[in-house]
Amino acid sequence: MNNQFSLKILDLFQPVFRIFHIDYPMVRRILEMKLLMDGRRVPTVFDQSTKIKGNKFLQSLGLYAFYSLLLLFFLVGDVYIFQMSILFGISMFILMSAFISDFSAVLLDIRDKTIIGTKPIDARTIGVAKLLHVLMYITMLTGAFTIIPIFFMLFIQGIRFTILFVVLMALFVLFIVALTSLIYILVLHVFDGEKLKNMINYIQIVLSIGIVIGYQLVINVFNVVGTEVHYVFHWWNLLIPPMWFAAPFEVMLNGNTETGILVLSSLSIIIPLLAIFLYYKFIPAFEQNLEKLLDKKGAASPKKYPFRTFWEKMLCTSEEEKYFAFAYQIMGKEREFKLKVYPTLGMAIVFPFIFLIIFLQDSSVEELKSGYPFIYMYFTNIFISITVHMLQFSAQYKGAWIFPMTGGESPKLMYRAAIKAFLVKLYAPVLIIVGIGYSLLFSFSIWLDVLIVFMSAILLAVMAYGITITRRYPFSDAFETVKEGGYTAKSFALMFLTAPFVLIHFLSTLLPYGKVAWCILLAGITVLVWKFVFRRKAASKAISKQVINN
Amino acid sequence: MAEETAIHMQDVKVRFGEKQVLKGVNIEVGRGEIIGYIGPNGAGKSTTIKLILGLLHEFEGDIEVFGTSIRGADPAYKKRIGYVPENAEIYDQLTAGEYLTFVGELYGMSRDKAYQKAAFLMEQFGLTEVIHQNISAFSKGMRQKVLLISSMLHNPDIIFLDEPLNGLDANSVIVMKEIFHKLAEEGKTIFYSSHIMEVVENISDRIIILRDGEIIADDSFATLKARSEQGSLEGIFNQLTGFETNEKQVENVVSSVLDREVREYE
Repeated sequence: MNNQFSLKILDLFQPVFRIFHIDYPMVRRILEMKLLMDGRRVPTVFDQSTKIKGNKFLQSLGLYAFYSLLLLFFLVGDVYIFQMSILFGISMFILMSAFISDFSAVLLDIRDKTIIGTKPIDARTIGVAKLLHVLMYITMLTGAFTIIPIFFMLFIQGIRFTILFVVLMALFVLFIVALTSLIYILVLHVFDGEKLKNMINYIQIVLSIGIVIGYQLVINVFNVVGTEVHYVFHWWNLLIPPMWFAAPFEVMLNGNTETGILVLSSLSIIIPLLAIFLYYKFIPAFEQNLEKLLDKKGAASPKKYPFRTFWEKMLCTSEEEKYFAFAYQIMGKEREFKLKVYPTLGMAIVFPFIFLIIFLQDSSVEELKSGYPFIYMYFTNIFISITVHMLQFSAQYKGAWIFPMTGGESPKLMYRAAIKAFLVKLYAPVLIIVGIGYSLLFSFSIWLDVLIVFMSAILLAVMAYGITITRRYPFSDAFETVKEGGYTAKSFALMFLTAPFVLIHFLSTLLPYGKVAWCILLAGITVLVWKFVFRRKAASKAISKQVINN
Repeated sequence: MAEETAIHMQDVKVRFGEKQVLKGVNIEVGRGEIIGYIGPNGAGKSTTIKLILGLLHEFEGDIEVFGTSIRGADPAYKKRIGYVPENAEIYDQLTAGEYLTFVGELYGMSRDKAYQKAAFLMEQFGLTEVIHQNISAFSKGMRQKVLLISSMLHNPDIIFLDEPLNGLDANSVIVMKEIFHKLAEEGKTIFYSSHIMEVVENISDRIIILRDGEIIADDSFATLKARSEQGSLEGIFNQLTGFETNEKQVENVVSSVLDREVREYE
């Protein structure tokens, strides 16, 4: 994106800034610098060969466009309050996770504090520049997320619906940005910095669970009977944000003027404006509280990790153990890694259930049981390649100098241990949660499917390693704050590698004992591929030597 | 010169939760003084500096910069302050030229003026060739020079220096010390914070020692030396902060490194 162009657009809003007594030229200058910096890659010690690549953020937009396909299911029909509530619910989940994972780094940047905060600049000016910086990227992200649905709805629902949607979506995004920031402000005010950083991860998990519960709620609210949907307003509906944004569709397009719907509609305008106003009011306090992020807490008691130690012994060779433990700790402790990865894990848990619900809209559990429910479990695997790709990065990537220093051992060994740690620590719990959910919904026999899904996950992880890993050592390169949405085109394409597994799994059900056979065959293939990819080459030593020489 | 007092702190107290970080600090610094501000880790040195720079807002007592209380003040007073932070935060994706120009503009200079001055100063420090290179590619010493330039670019009246000579080679250290002296002669106030006692000793007009949030000494080096039996600032510092070289500690470390002593821990 052309920075000058976006700044020119911003110039059009100058009068607005003047109304709020904001030092616009300074805001613009700070923003210009930020955008300039975003456009540059930080060269790192271990990967000097890496060329300056295209904007990673733009590449990650593809992923959001992909997610948006989910929305299409809810664009057909005219029970707007129902469809649009679900649609805004999904959007809220996906956009909020994206904001939290990609933009927290920007919102919580304390570098600004020492560099700009010590200069004669109003705290509000810094806050506004920061907000605009985030808003620019959010606009692009939202654009990617809504462009396909917008085209689709133009055909299906017509122009009036589309315009209404665009307006409401804009309000909706404002609301979410302000809400996310206000949550941060509140948490920072009440707790210390350490808590906030941990809290961000909890917020993500809560969001994931919230969406599942949200669906239960929506189904209950609307009293779905077959395809007929009845809506009766209850006061507590006012507490469900997606419903505010769904209500105007009822008013404008269905001519529904019930009091409840009107009240909900008015909230869709009032609350976002109020939230932005509050945010503006709280900016100075927020910036001030950011200082807390620098606080450090004192000593802690020694911790034991029986679970980790158990799997370490079970799965690793003696030389792998130390790397397994290291990777396991980083995955559990490094906030930035968690920020990037945990939201996708949340989706890995939620998606299998979302799709079940989509299909439950027009069929019963009984029908699904006789079908192929395991297919939806593969949504947990879609995220594997992205996460494996992430194993290369760390906020403290500079610490990786220690690896070539202590040298001798192959980086492959480190990745092998890291992938094992990933499967044990992050992937297995997700699949087990999904498996438990499915076995409760369907039958216990689903666990054979779970096993097959798990083995294809291992195979996928190894393939992802072979294809996406370009850094020599794990955790040895920087996440680029805003630009690296976390996904490259490659790992995005890898998501589709899940498809053949789904297909074979499906085909295997057509044969007697087909699943068992596939399970055994898959186990064999996985072992072979694992051995092949992680085979020891004499060459690897020469390479690591070369790194030290560099 | 109408204002003779650069910094005035009266009974300044700061508390972080349970911990009282500053316990009633009184400091009076005049124009043209070079203050050596020292103390053990965690004594409250950087807290003091952050307060004056307006990075921390919650404090008791009174802080005045050139006679104006900074509590709730217009941040414009920061135009008269320059700052070299210790942990060297810097936007290193920018080139040195871009960064310095930007900082100059933040201080209210015009872009052109800031750039011209930055380019000249960089030339003086022998950095002309790297002016268009990203700071991320700089050595520690080059970064430090950029930080030093950024703290002086806007002709400030007070300069806070936190370990300013970090990473500089011996020649540059001599030049910088000379620059600090000259600036002080021109009426600039320099607030110098460092753990390297030799430098503090020979650069400062006055030395303030902080321990556990309290000022335990505030005098010229000559006076301090006369008061204690120690001949060097290092000796005075260790004496005043109650630190004694622990023979046992040294012994333990060495024997552990040599694997002569092994202990069991949980």
